[in-house]
Order: sequence, then C-alpha cells, then structure tokens
Amino acid sequence: MSAWMGRRKWITVSLFLLPTILAILVFNVYPILLNTYISFTNRNKFRPNPDCEVTLTGLLDPLCWPAFRENAPTGLGSPYTLQDPIFANYDALMGKLFQPDALLSLFLIIVVFAPLFGVNYFNKRQERKLDEKIAPGLLWVLGIILTIALFFILDVPKSIATLMDTGDFLAVVLRTILFVALRVPLTFVLGLILAIILNLEDLKGKTFFRVVLFIPWGASSVAILLALVWQFLFRQQGTINQIITQFGGTGPIWLNNPILAFGVVVLADIWFSYPFFMVSILGALQSVPGELYEAAEVDGAGWWTQLMKITLPLIRPAVLPAAVLTSITAFQMFGTAFAITGGGPQRGAGTPGATEFVMVYAFKQIFQQQNYGRATAFAVLIFIMLFLATLYSLRITKMTKGAYE
Amino acid sequence: MSKKLLTLISVLLIAMFVLSACQPAETPAAEEPAADQPAAEEPAVEEPTVEEPASEEPAEPSTEAVTITIWNQWDGAYLAAIEQAFRDYEAEHPNVKIDLSKPEDVKNALTVAIPAGEGPDIIGWANDAIGEQALNGNIVAISDLGVDTAFLEANYEPAAVAGVQWSGMIWGLPESQEGIALIYNKAVVTEEYLPTDPMDFEDLYEKAKKFQEDTGNVLVCNQAFGGSDAYHMSPIYFGFGLPSYVDEEGNAFLDTPEAIAAGEWLKKFATVSYAENSYDICNAALAEGKVGMWWTGPWAVAGIEASGIDYGILPMGSPFVGIKVLMMSKNAVDRGNAEIALDIMKYFTSAEVQKKIALVNKTIPAATAALNDPEVSSLAAVVGFGAALNLGVPMSPSPFSSAQWGPVGDASAAIWTGAQEPAEAMADAQAAIEEAVAGMQ
Repeated sequence: MSAWMGRRKWITVSLFLLPTILAILVFNVYPILLNTYISFTNRNKFRPNPDCEVTLTGLLDPLCWPAFRENAPTGLGSPYTLQDPIFANYDALMGKLFQPDALLSLFLIIVVFAPLFGVNYFNKRQERKLDEKIAPGLLWVLGIILTIALFFILDVPKSIATLMDTGDFLAVVLRTILFVALRVPLTFVLGLILAIILNLEDLKGKTFFRVVLFIPWGASSVAILLALVWQFLFRQQGTINQIITQFGGTGPIWLNNPILAFGVVVLADIWFSYPFFMVSILGALQSVPGELYEAAEVDGAGWWTQLMKITLPLIRPAVLPAAVLTSITAFQMFGTAFAITGGGPQRGAGTPGATEFVMVYAFKQIFQQQNYGRATAFAVLIFIMLFLATLYSLRITKMTKGAYE
Repeated sequence: MSKKLLTLISVLLIAMFVLSACQPAETPAAEEPAADQPAAEEPAVEEPTVEEPASEEPAEPSTEAVTITIWNQWDGAYLAAIEQAFRDYEAEHPNVKIDLSKPEDVKNALTVAIPAGEGPDIIGWANDAIGEQALNGNIVAISDLGVDTAFLEANYEPAAVAGVQWSGMIWGLPESQEGIALIYNKAVVTEEYLPTDPMDFEDLYEKAKKFQEDTGNVLVCNQAFGGSDAYHMSPIYFGFGLPSYVDEEGNAFLDTPEAIAAGEWLKKFATVSYAENSYDICNAALAEGKVGMWWTGPWAVAGIEASGIDYGILPMGSPFVGIKVLMMSKNAVDRGNAEIALDIMKYFTSAEVQKKIALVNKTIPAATAALNDPEVSSLAAVVGFGAALNLGVPMSPSPFSSAQWGPVGDASAAIWTGAQEPAEAMADAQAAIEEAVAGMQ
C-alpha cells in the first residue's frame, strides 16, 4: 500500500513538474544544443541547408523535421557539414590567444593588477589584528602607485593591442568590458548624487523632480528613437557642433572618431540608465534611520564622513544587486550603440568597428553576414563567460542565499 | 473516481485544443504539393483570411480566385505608379488579387517564410541576389517554366538578359536598369564646375576644391562617403580601372594598383566633402542648395523633382549596373500559382507597362521597346543615366558578389575617416573577400 502511495505521489509530483520541464527543454535546452551543434559546422549563407542524412543534423535542425521537411528549400548550394578541423570557428575567433606572445601579454596585464589584489588581501588579514596596524588608506595609495608604475614599465597598452589582434572575440569582449566599467560606476555616481539631492528634507517640488528625472528610464522603451536624437546632437552638422560654431570653434566629427564615438555611446547610455540607480538608492536612503546622522553630528562627523561611514555602508545591500543587474544589461547593450553608430566607426574590412559591442557583433554576424557557424561559436564563448561571471556575482551579492535558508 | 476521470478528460481536451491550434500553420505547408490538382476546394484551404468574399461566390467555377503576394523594394514616390500598374492587371483579371508588401529585412524574412510555406509568390529585388537565393533554394528557375533565351533577347536589353542568367538557367525577368550618376542643381553649379570627362577624377577633385574655396559649400554628396556602402562607391573603383570587385570565379581585385589609386583619390576627396553623408543628408543639402551635386540613382529623381529644383544629370566613373528583377519563389510553385505569377511577371516587365512607369518615375526600362520609345528616350533622366549605364559594369548574379559588399564598404569607410591608409585598407578588404569566397567553395 505504501509503495503504491509512494508511486502515486511520485506521479503527482512529476505531473506538476512536467509543464515546467517541457518548457525548459523546449525553450532553453534545445536552443542551446542546436546552437552548440551549429557552432561546429560551416553553416553560412552559402551553405544554409541541412543534410538530413547526417544523424545529428537530422535530429536537431528543424528543417529536417517532418512538418517542414517537404517544404525545406533545397537550393543549388551544398549542405553544411561539420568543420574540419572541428574547432575551426572557435579558432578563427580566439585561436591566436594561445600563442606565446598573446599569453605573455595576458600574463603582463594580470601582473599589473597584482599589487591591488595584494593590498586587498593584506588589509583583510590586518583587520583581525588589534595593534601595529599599517593605515589601510596608505596601503591603497601605495598599491595604486605601484599599479600605475607597472602599467608604464611593462608597456600594457602594447599588450592590450596584442590581445586585440588575437581575433574578434577578445577585441569585442574587452571593448564591452571597458564600456561596462565606464558606464556602471558613472551611472552609480550620478544616481547617488541625484538621490541624495532628492532625499533632502527641505527640497521643494520633490515630486516634480522625481518624475522629471525618472523620464529617461521610462523613455528607454523608445530607446531607438531617443538614441537617434543623440545621434542627431553629435552629427557633423548636429546641434553640438552648431553651438560650438557659434562660439567660433570647429567641432570634431564625433561619430567618425573611435574614441569620441565610444564616449557618445557611453554618455547616451548613462542618460538612459541613471534613473534605475537613482530610484534604488533613493529607496535605500529612506530606510536609513535619521538617528544615526544625529548621533554622528553629536560626535562631530562632517558631511563626507557621514556619507562614507553611514550612508554608503547602509545602502550597500540594496545597491549591490542593482549594480550586478545593471552590469548585465550594460554587457548586453545593443539598441543605443546600434542606433547611434551602427557599430562604427569602421576600422577597416574584417575588423569589428569601434563601438561594436558583444550584441552588435553577434547581430552583424547573424543578420548581416549570415555567418551562422562563426556567430554561434561566439555565442557559446559568451555563454561560458557570462555563466562564470554570474556564478561569481551570486557569490558576491549572496542574492540567492535567503532562498536556501 | 469519476471526478478524477473528469479531470483527466478535461486535461486531454485542453491538450487536444492546444495541439489543434498549432496544426493549421503546418498543414498547408505539408499538404500543398499534393493539393495541386483539386481546384474546387483549394481556395478555402489555402487563403482562408484573404479570400473570404471570393470563396462565397461559387458562380464562376472556371476561374479560381488567387492572391499573389509580391515582396518588393519599391518605396516612396516610386510606389504610386507601380501600384497603379498592378491595379490595372487586377481590373483585367478579376479573379486575381495582388498583394504588395515590403518586409523590413527581406533576406531573413525569406529564410523563415519559405520553409514555412508562407513566403511570397514573387520577389522584386536586384539581380545580384539571384545567386545567393538560388543556392538557398528560395527561388526557382523560370527557364523550367518555358521562358527561354530567345524570349529574353526578343524583349529585353542585352545587359538585362545577361543579368538574369546564372549557371545556365534563367532566374527572373528584368524590370529596369539602375546605376548612379551626378545629379546637379543648375542654380548652384555653373558650367565651370561641371566635370568635362566622366573618367577624369583628378578634374572632379580640382573642381570640388575650387567650388569649396569659391562658395564655401561642398560640390559632391554621396551616401557612401564615410559609410559602409560598396554600391555607391562603385563608379570610383571601376572608373579607376577595376574590372569588378569579385569576378564569376571568385577572384577579388582589391589589392591591384588601380584599387589602391582609387583609395588614394578617395582619401584626397574626403577633404573637400562632408565627413558624414547619408541619403537624407544629401537629399536635404541638395534641395537647400548646400551641395552642388548628389551622386545617386534614378530612384532619387522623383523626390528631387518634388523639391522643385532645376537639375541636370552627368555621368561620372563606371557605376555598377544593377538590374531590378522579379523572381519567382519556391512557394509559388508549391501553391500552384506558378502560371499566374509568371504571367504577372511578364505583364509587369512588358514594354507597355514599363513605358507608363518610366514616364512617371523616370526609371530606365529593361524592355527594349520601352527604352527605344521616343517619349521615354527623350526624358532627361533616361538620357543622363543612360550615358552612365553605358560606361558601367554589370552586376553579376553569381553568389560570389555577395562577398563584396561588406569588405569594400568597410574599407572605403576606413579610408574616408582616416582610420586606415588606402593600401592597408585594400589589403584587408582583399583578405576579407577571399575568406568569404573560401567559405562558399
């Protein structure tokens, strides 16, 4: 009887789980499998059609399934096959990374950051000591000076250039990481400043300012249109340059210069995304008890000390997940860059443009060049990278910790 | 127990509904080839949404109602006259309804729609798409449907006849020919600034420089300047002596001295034009008199006439001669619409219809009789663009030609912005094309 009950329970449980499992299989597992399989083939616009006789192709490619098989196009092109050697797509993307000079460059870049990690580690160890402490601030200054010195001694710009030449993958990913590293902190600082101002008790018209400052976030649903406005501002004959001309200067060609174009994209995207930080910080600020500030004032703490010792530590739990989320969206940024620069300015044939971030690159490979094999290999690499980064960020923020306790 | 049975039944019922809801999208696709013959019940199965009124009147069993879908690239002021031509056809053939639509991204839309059986019957495109679409299997050779070279030669211009044939088969019917030339504003550009010899690029540079010094304005606007656009760059490269970007065997010509010379000229010319050009910038600047000339094709003429400027057309360099073609999709054959679709293609590309369209749109017909018609051949646009087309290089329908656009465009953009030196840019473009060609072989 109990066995029967156990089995019945098991059936009930699996019936409840079935829809979710099916959905995960259909929408997550299958696309990943197909994508990974395609990344090992030479599928592109000239070999678009499957050879259904190959077992794996017949199983995975929808064009081989009974519903489509009769209507599947059979052109004059030869069907796609597995690459020979099998890792050819991956090799084209990042193969040169495994050559001595590229590995050396990578090593040098890590060495440059070593002092900072060292300082961090040393400070953590010191925390437990009661006396004979070296001031952590002094250590940080030392570490930063050492890093800057190493940066020039080891000629890191040259190493970065070497890495950028190893294939599209690192060039695109490094550029995207630079974008995230610029955008997220700047957005945070802007959001923090605005939130602190909005949190002032004697500010008049608070609601008005809150609504107005929140507009860019709401407007990001029409991001493409607004990005075109930004593009218009920074055109050769655009608003900014016309204002500069009024003052007797000649404006630069913003969008034709790699560095300026990058800056324009960062600026536009900061404008789109600061309200998210502003609102999360504002919410966190309002939960900071006022007595703490009163007590601090009694102890003679100034505004800056209050900010560093009370405000920032107390809003940290609310802001960290927001920072992780913003970093992920910044990494996947597509609309703003594509609408303003289209991935350009071009740096020549066969090299990604100066604002060709991860998603822009993937879009161009798939939809403009129909280079499916290369694009899917790129997607697999990005997947591995983001998966590792997400695991690490979960560890930092302990976002899911509550769920298991 | 009965309660559980009820639950089970209702779950099964829901599952059935869900499954049957998924069905219709697939069934026509799977059954289409078999459904070729039974004409009586076909329209109801096939086009249930569009054909509602037609299927209600079974009074005419002889003529079966069909909707022919045409995916096209016709836009703006162009479209009105073209639509009128199809409305005329509908008036003559009451059982045929023609549906014109212009998908955002035809190439990708076709890749999805054709296997699903929901693609168009006719595709209106440029002839350089033929090779790629034939490799994909999205279009069918109309030589299998009784169109032969003799028919083509009797009706169309030689360049157009060559432009629709690839690997020994005929893939479409030519509608019009296109190429770019200098359209200048007569009020702004006086005789002294007009290039005298279409092959003398040094002269064009000198005149553009002088024009800028004299008036402070830019002489030539071209949407390829600064952008990635190999098509609008073609008069320059071919004018410097390149036979084509890529030939039918897949050989690229971008590391030749001619291509590098063209790149050097481009670098020099960047100093006497806008840093940024686009279709809209050129269009607006020409209308406002801020640029003297716009290097563009017949499609811009209708808009320029609407802005009311007095314009002239001069040939410059050797532009790509593109043939606008109508191709038949695989779906048209599957649906049994091939005959009607072919009839519409023949009707639309005929001299009679193309003459009407040319008189309104100032296009250059591919049909010989229309081109030689005195009314058409005296049009200023036809004379001007005709001269440019005579100097031009025909676009190849070979799939290799699809390898040229990105690399040549990117290299030209990099030269224009100064990101790369001409020789370096051309070497990279050559390598990129060779890689793409290797991916096809």
